[in-house]
Amino acid sequence: MATLLSFHRDILEEIHDPASSELLLIARGLGLRRVVCKLLQIYDSPQNLVILVNASQEEESAIGEELGIMGCRQPGLRIVAFETGKKDRQELYKKGGLLSITSQILTVDMLTGDLRTHLITGIILLHADRVTPTSPEAFIIRLYREKNTAGFLKAFSDDPEHITSGLSPLRTIMKELQLTKVHIYPRFHQKVIDCLGRDRSVLQLTINMTEYMTEIHGAIVQCMNSTLSELKRSNTNLDLDDLNVENAYFRSFDVLVRRQLDPVWHKVGPRTKQLVSDLATLRRLLNYLLSYDALAFHAYLETLLESNTVNEAGKPRQHHSPWMLTDAAHIMFEFAKRRCYTISAPKKMAPEAHELDDQDAWDALDEAEGLTGRQRETVQDAGAKRPHWLPANIHPNLEELPKWSLVAAALQEIEEEMIRREPKMTFRDPGTNTVLIMTSSLRTAQLLSEFLSSMDPDAPQGAQGRKMMEGKLRLYLWWKAKFADQRKDGKGGTDGGRTKGSFAPRGGPNSFLPGGDEHLSEALKKKDRERQERAANRRRVRGGAPTPSSSTRGSQPVPAGDGLAHPAAELESIAEFLATQDVFMGQVDEDLSRMDFGPDFDDNYGLVQPEQTVLVRAYSDDTDEQMLNEVQPRYIIMFEPNLEFVRRVEVFKKSNPGLGVRIYLLVYNYSCEEAKYLSGVRREKESFERLIKERGSMLMPIMEQRRSEQGESLIKTISSRIAGGRKELNTEPSKVVVDIREFRSSLPSLLHASNLLVVPVTLTVGDYILTPDICVERKSIPDLISSFNSGRLYTQCEVMSAHYKQPILLIEWEEHKSFSLTTIADTKSFVKPTGKFPAKKRPAPGAADGANVASALIQSKLVLLTLTFPRVRIIWSSSSYATAEIFKDLKTHQAEPDPTKAIVVGAEEDPDAGAGVNSTAEEFLRSFPGITSKNVKHVMAKVKSVRELCELELSQVQDILGIEPGKACWEFIHRGDAK
Amino acid sequence: PVVQPGTGNNIIVNPCQRGNPILECVKNVGKEFGDIVVDYQVGRTTGVLFLSLRYHRLHPEYIHQRIERLGHAYNLRILLLMCDVTEHQEPIRELTKICLVNNITIMVAWTPEEAGFYLTTYKQFEHKPPDLIKERVDKDYPTVLRNALTSISKVNKTDVETLRTSLGSVAAIARASSDRLQNLPGFGQVKVKRIKDAFEKPFRNNT
Repeated sequence: MATLLSFHRDILEEIHDPASSELLLIARGLGLRRVVCKLLQIYDSPQNLVILVNASQEEESAIGEELGIMGCRQPGLRIVAFETGKKDRQELYKKGGLLSITSQILTVDMLTGDLRTHLITGIILLHADRVTPTSPEAFIIRLYREKNTAGFLKAFSDDPEHITSGLSPLRTIMKELQLTKVHIYPRFHQKVIDCLGRDRSVLQLTINMTEYMTEIHGAIVQCMNSTLSELKRSNTNLDLDDLNVENAYFRSFDVLVRRQLDPVWHKVGPRTKQLVSDLATLRRLLNYLLSYDALAFHAYLETLLESNTVNEAGKPRQHHSPWMLTDAAHIMFEFAKRRCYTISAPKKMAPEAHELDDQDAWDALDEAEGLTGRQRETVQDAGAKRPHWLPANIHPNLEELPKWSLVAAALQEIEEEMIRREPKMTFRDPGTNTVLIMTSSLRTAQLLSEFLSSMDPDAPQGAQGRKMMEGKLRLYLWWKAKFADQRKDGKGGTDGGRTKGSFAPRGGPNSFLPGGDEHLSEALKKKDRERQERAANRRRVRGGAPTPSSSTRGSQPVPAGDGLAHPAAELESIAEFLATQDVFMGQVDEDLSRMDFGPDFDDNYGLVQPEQTVLVRAYSDDTDEQMLNEVQPRYIIMFEPNLEFVRRVEVFKKSNPGLGVRIYLLVYNYSCEEAKYLSGVRREKESFERLIKERGSMLMPIMEQRRSEQGESLIKTISSRIAGGRKELNTEPSKVVVDIREFRSSLPSLLHASNLLVVPVTLTVGDYILTPDICVERKSIPDLISSFNSGRLYTQCEVMSAHYKQPILLIEWEEHKSFSLTTIADTKSFVKPTGKFPAKKRPAPGAADGANVASALIQSKLVLLTLTFPRVRIIWSSSSYATAEIFKDLKTHQAEPDPTKAIVVGAEEDPDAGAGVNSTAEEFLRSFPGITSKNVKHVMAKVKSVRELCELELSQVQDILGIEPGKACWEFIHRGDAK
Repeated sequence: PVVQPGTGNNIIVNPCQRGNPILECVKNVGKEFGDIVVDYQVGRTTGVLFLSLRYHRLHPEYIHQRIERLGHAYNLRILLLMCDVTEHQEPIRELTKICLVNNITIMVAWTPEEAGFYLTTYKQFEHKPPDLIKERVDKDYPTVLRNALTSISKVNKTDVETLRTSLGSVAAIARASSDRLQNLPGFGQVKVKRIKDAFEKPFRNNT
């Protein structure tokens, strides 16, 4: 169990009182979880009902575990999630104790009365920084305080950078949580300094990036710079102060830009939108450059290029990302490739082979086979060093990340140190000789452990992981061949029916012998197409990324200019080569299947054996603390700098006196890593200072008692429809029936805030029932587009019209976003971004054509919807606030809806209406071919999950869906399967 | 010289709309002036009233008179609303209520071009079957696949490409372990978890 430090005890003393409610802000890494767990332990008792809100799944289980260690086992922390049934929940609530509940379920249960609000002892809320006026947490607190003023509320946050929105962000949160007290504990708090001291004894090892990496790094930063300045140039009204490259290292930068651009988002062109998303891509690249191995990075770049050159319809794209056309990007792609391998100018056979590329497929294949034979010979001549599976013209370069050898060196040093210390050690000394290596992501961790296990310690620096890299290269080549195959596949598909590429790997050359004239002409057509494609490629490459920049680089001669200029040709040549090697494919398949089982879970994350000396882990949240306490390492290598972890180690050291921990921190010189770390420290400090200042000058919100204006609401319910001026009081409160699935949006919360009674039930028809006649289907803009595309909206309107007198479609925009339909061209959709109104551009003769393009637009679909369903009304609402107002307006002087009736409407066909629904999976399933809104419920009743559907045989799928749709569905699932 | 409305392929325009800038933006269909109750008759049973919010602010009673005169004419009655003020929330709320009572559907346009486009489309689509918005199945494989996988949040089209090239089929993706997914470039814990949830969590909890 983690011991409490002096400042932890101080904090606990301040906040443990169950009579008061407060907010605690603490710096990350100082052990928030210890505080929370201790607090939970204090409150744990069957007489209490304490609810933990807003914890992620990982946190729930980690907190539960830690509580178990601390001794509250029976029953400890129970988790209520979507899988828990209604009955079980009621049971749990009655028994009391500690419960962790998802926000959505908690809201619904409080509204339906399953959870008696006045019986709650208290609520502990994590991630208080995420609370906004429209968030579900604010709704929960409002519901809670309405009936329960005695219970406590303890809110926690360790993310001060997040609290930035609006004029007085801290106050907004306090107001929503109805709190008046706040404690702030930054690292520079006196009590923390007293306890932990000021020094940071970290051994920092710096290393230069390799030449190629430096070049790529510079190129990415240059691209970011040019993208940023482009962005500034095209939007003069942006607040420029915050937009610099340093800020762009952080993910919050996107939020910053979007917040500034959102109100005018419909006015900015597709170019600006492209730029904003490019920045995110570049930031990711920068990160990957330092953490991925050379091959994975190169592969990622290639995928990026591929997905950028074709648009949704598989045709060449109009709006290229501007950075991709710069010199810097060329350098990036070029060097990324050169880090992996170089392609030499093909020797004797190869020039011919390139011309042969243009010849008929069977010729090329025959030739390729001949080629391989010779290649094999040369390979054997060259000596055993060259693996047999490598095409002759590829020279592996396989650059390794410099940090790998640094890790190896550090490990060596640690080993020597251990031996030196060994005699002095006694059995009773704390700590183990485990070396802990911390990395930024699970992926890096895996890569590093792979490196360490296959490392060749005698090899010179930079080649120690050669074996691993060769294995990776092999997988990469295999992947690339598949990539080439699928490219063909895709192209053939769009051309209509011709789906098979020319290289069926297993068939061998014989299967390509011409069957007749038809075959021949097919091949000729194909040839023409390929030639065109290549020509197009050449133009793009030549025009876009100027080749001179590469040829002027004398020191590094550009290998095989021709081969480089044709990525497609290169792909094909590799594919061809591999196609001739059946054995190889088999092997790789084996490799792959072995990889699946690869590093066992228990190996990495299970109980740590004491004799296991090197442990590689990824940084995570407060769980690290527990891990440190379990492992008790004396040596820690931080593969990437991480502020939180440094603090965690400080806390760990302090709570384990006598344990001499040595920390190595590996940093690349002149890289974004260092800048990122330092500006991260600064940002945290600044946000703490700002919050402290705000606390000093904050106007304390006075909590108003809700529902005090009883009189007004009474007058509202006097029905004026009753003739004769007879005043009859309608004591029933105004209510709205809301579908449970709608609780993910903020509207129910706002409806409740405007004094409507929200009744959650599972509805089959519509989302909101306002009166017995009015049924509303709510669509946000992305929803609207997707449900138009899938045809779901049509069915929904059909059903609504059948069951209700006044079916309404509510189109709701997000607050602060531009209230206009033109923004939608930007969201995930297949609406073509061809200016707003094609009719404007096209002259009258092309009317039919114009209409075609127009038919894709959302506006024309809306028109068609109103023409088809003349009774469906549309509400246009600029935000959920506006919607709440409109709903109230529509409800005045109307009869109240009956929830029991609303549930039954249209529910006949649904066998298990009222059960919890996994909407992501449902949505996903719907998008499969052969599955329509009519049969989707049937399918969900037959199979449990998508996975199960994927595992069925063709005949079984056909049993469920019928012959034709079943076949379509099964073929969709299994297309591209390796047999 | 007001003529009786014809029945041809023209939009019939109320003479009071003369000079309205949206007339310029009606393309690809003919226009003729005629004596009608509404402002634009875009089909045998479809009538459109036009209202600019700026005008509404100055003459709030105008639209009521027009609706009153409308009576029960037309099957589909549209109020084409031009949203040309920044304070649109209040007037839209009020108009929504009025229209609901009078069986009128509101369509909102933000620019004259958009408004003209609506009028044009109403006329062009007068006899069009609703196939465009019904469920369709005729899509090619890459599109359907992209559509399907991007319906899982956090998955973008680059990821779809990665999944397709490195795993192959949907069935293979379903079978792939979390570790395998985690190994793909561009995939972090959260994304992998979302994908796993979509594939493996049950559709319903049957309790």
